[in-house]
Amino acid sequence: MSGVTLRDVSVAFDGVPALSDVSLSVADGEFFTLVGPSGCGKTTTLRTVAGFRTPDTGVVEIAGEDATGRPPEERNVGVVFQNYALFPHMSVRENVAYGLRFRDPPGGVTTDERVADLLELVDMAGTGDRDPEALSGGQQQRIALARALAPGPDVLLLDEPLSALDARLRERLRVVIRDIQQDQGITTIYVTHDQAEALAISDRVAVIADGGVEQVGPPEEIYREPATRFVAEFVGDNNLFEGAVSAGDPPEVTIDGTTLTLPETDLASGSDLASEAGLASGRNVVLSVRPEDIAVAPRGGTATQADWTTLDATVETSEFLGDAYRLHCRWGDRTLLVKTTGDAPPDGDVTLGIDPAAVTVVDGGDDA
Amino acid sequence: MAHTGRLERAVLPAAVTATLAVIGVVFYYPVATVFAEALLVGGRLTVDPLVSVLADPFYTGVAHHLVADPAGIPAGVREWVSAGFPSVDFGLFGFTAYQAALSTVASVALGLPGAYVLARFDFRGRETLRSLTIVPFVLPSILVVVGFMAMFGRTGLFNDLLGTVGLGPVEVLWTLEVVVLAHAFYNAPLVTRLVATAWESVDRQQIESARAIGASPTRAFLDVVIPVIRPALLTAAVLTFVFTFMSFPIVLALGTLELATVEVWIYARVQALDLTEAATLATLETVLSLGLIYLYLRYESRQRATTGAGRAPPRESLVVGWDTLRSPVRLAAAGYGVVVAVVFLGPLVSLLIESVTAPDGSFTTAYYEFLLAQQASTAVGTARPLPSILNSLLYGAGTLLLAVPMGVVVALLAIRGGRGSRLAETVLSAPLAVSGIVVGLGLLQAMVFGTVLFGYRLTATGRVVIVLAHAAAAYPFVTRTVAPALGGLDSRYRDAARSLGASRLRAFVDIELRLVAGAVLAGAAFAFAISVGEFDSTVLLAEGTDSYTMPVALERYVNNRSLGPNLGPATAMGTVLLAITALSFVAIDRLGGRWEQ
Repeated sequence: MSGVTLRDVSVAFDGVPALSDVSLSVADGEFFTLVGPSGCGKTTTLRTVAGFRTPDTGVVEIAGEDATGRPPEERNVGVVFQNYALFPHMSVRENVAYGLRFRDPPGGVTTDERVADLLELVDMAGTGDRDPEALSGGQQQRIALARALAPGPDVLLLDEPLSALDARLRERLRVVIRDIQQDQGITTIYVTHDQAEALAISDRVAVIADGGVEQVGPPEEIYREPATRFVAEFVGDNNLFEGAVSAGDPPEVTIDGTTLTLPETDLASGSDLASEAGLASGRNVVLSVRPEDIAVAPRGGTATQADWTTLDATVETSEFLGDAYRLHCRWGDRTLLVKTTGDAPPDGDVTLGIDPAAVTVVDGGDDA
Repeated sequence: MAHTGRLERAVLPAAVTATLAVIGVVFYYPVATVFAEALLVGGRLTVDPLVSVLADPFYTGVAHHLVADPAGIPAGVREWVSAGFPSVDFGLFGFTAYQAALSTVASVALGLPGAYVLARFDFRGRETLRSLTIVPFVLPSILVVVGFMAMFGRTGLFNDLLGTVGLGPVEVLWTLEVVVLAHAFYNAPLVTRLVATAWESVDRQQIESARAIGASPTRAFLDVVIPVIRPALLTAAVLTFVFTFMSFPIVLALGTLELATVEVWIYARVQALDLTEAATLATLETVLSLGLIYLYLRYESRQRATTGAGRAPPRESLVVGWDTLRSPVRLAAAGYGVVVAVVFLGPLVSLLIESVTAPDGSFTTAYYEFLLAQQASTAVGTARPLPSILNSLLYGAGTLLLAVPMGVVVALLAIRGGRGSRLAETVLSAPLAVSGIVVGLGLLQAMVFGTVLFGYRLTATGRVVIVLAHAAAAYPFVTRTVAPALGGLDSRYRDAARSLGASRLRAFVDIELRLVAGAVLAGAAFAFAISVGEFDSTVLLAEGTDSYTMPVALERYVNNRSLGPNLGPATAMGTVLLAITALSFVAIDRLGGRWEQ
């Protein structure tokens, strides 16, 4: 049992709050990602778990024990940093072996065997005598990972480990990290500002903003059912609408005079939307519709089905993404993002179709 | 394991506490003793000694009226006006400030063109010249004195050269001009170094933006370059003023009684065993220099920090073939080069030449033989060369052992930020504003004469106290070399080590200390050189004992006339001191010591 629990953790720097009452629970063996914009508090959260920063209030538990006041060297965590932080005056082997000066290698092997095993694990066997600075960025990050894992930590903490690498390498290395994490079955907390990366490799994701947790859940849930307006905007492309709920079954929301039909059941809760007090008639809500959930056809074409909402819009810009097109469509005084596959996207005046099942109600609406 | 952890965790706080305690004992307590001597009579606080000094026209000139008879000022001014504004005597303090002001102007005049040349031009030897600007910090001031005597003395190189063309000899020693020139020798490199560093940080894009929106080159210089170099220039000027206000060996040996400064007078009062008056003068001097530095820091903190972050404009080549002769700026730079060579190399070259030149101009080894003879002499009070060399090396080693750990610990404190950092800044700045004579006087009173504690009189021997005084003077240089290196280290090295199981102490020893080893060694070389060259407090503490050092022996040789009225023995001894100092300098330069932050 080596999970991590944060309970009501608050941290302030010179009186400026960086984390406010953050509570998170990471299960044993879970790959848990903290994602958010820069300055949101995700790295502070990680540093609090590592022990580099003691929370002003709140409790940090590691492997079921209160670790709040423990110095970093007594927490048995492995940390990997964005800039690798390999010790430049030590060889690759000495770097990986450094933690074994303080802790016995797990499994009763010798230090040399443990170092060799780990270099093998990160696919860097044979580089032990090299100078870390002679290695490429990606190779250095593999060594940093081996160094963090060598003493057999209870928890692996990764702070933006791939941010300094180029896009292609980043995508390759994140698969390596995920594979090693699965192989070792180690509880892992991963910090990134890249929402796509977060969705790609995590068991669960916590979206952090302004020192607080916006939403925690599996990647699919974070993407498909954003709990807040911030999550809806931060994770992936999105179209957001604000409007007042009008009575009806199914309920409808009127936006700039156009009526958008809501799905009969909320995918997130599985409950009947109309029966939720929050969606009483007259209440202002925020709706989100993903670009790939909007159908598009030339004006007068057949993009929609009977119960869909249709909008007349005009394509202003078309971006070719390789596997799809992203269209910027003007509807009234708004611009909607539409993602469509196919050989050639429609141009000029188009009709957009929105399936009620694709409309998500995002919290944050106010009473009218 | 947990036990070791607790123990290791206690080491750093203990080191900080111990360091602050040592600084307290070797610096603050002695200085406080001096203040107490001046302000306490029979255990009661009194301003009588202060008033008697301030009211003495010898010390404060016409300003003594301010204290002696405050109500009489208007009358005094009326008399002065009706007498037709005769020249006014401002006394010892007035003269000290006057020569410091002249020295500051001379240092800036001599140093500023150097900053311009270093910052804006490229030439062979530029980097070497730049690193040579730290030489004054490791060059013993008494050595500079002997160099100036060797150059400008009656039998010096300058008069020898005049003699070959049938002129001279002229007497230029013992004048205010030579004192000011020696001060400029010492402080102009500081001006050059600080201003050149600032000048090089001017952002090229800011200059180009100014030019692009219509500023003339002059306008862009005034609006972009000047704001960046002004704080550095002011810093250099204030430091130069404070340093020359407290200047001791240069004035002691190059001046005469009319040129005495407060510092020299304190020394004279100590020798006359009038410790109360010495302490009173020391208190006034310290308050003045601390006040000046405090005012400056107040001013500085209100200034917006204008340090260029971008890339400096490219340097031009200084030498551009025959066209060099058609460029007024380059010709001026060449002329400046000649002045620099004469002022800076002249005294040192003169020292070397005079040490092997007989009064009639012929080659001689008599002076070095004299050193050997002195060594063999058994007469009481003889300054023997070998003990002075051994003493200097011994004190240098002792200073290293004390000042390096102290400097490193204060550096750790300084880079941590917050309250500890401010404390470190204060601890570091104060020794800058307190002269060696004042510290020496304090140590003499507090330790050599002893302190009564719980009924026991605690005393320390001269040798131990000398090492303590040297350590107090040297550790700020260790800190100033190590702190930037430590501060520049990525804190994640430490974090990585600690997450791998290293205690704070182990992380520091295994990782941080190893990564700044070069800076620590450079700081150590600095500390050694400071110790070897220290004169001000050593001359007080070594008085009448055999614990004298090379600079003290050198000063005694200056006044040794056993080989007739020439400097020979002093120049020979000076050459030995120069060689040892040069070795320290080479070590510092090799290890990349940098004085500025």
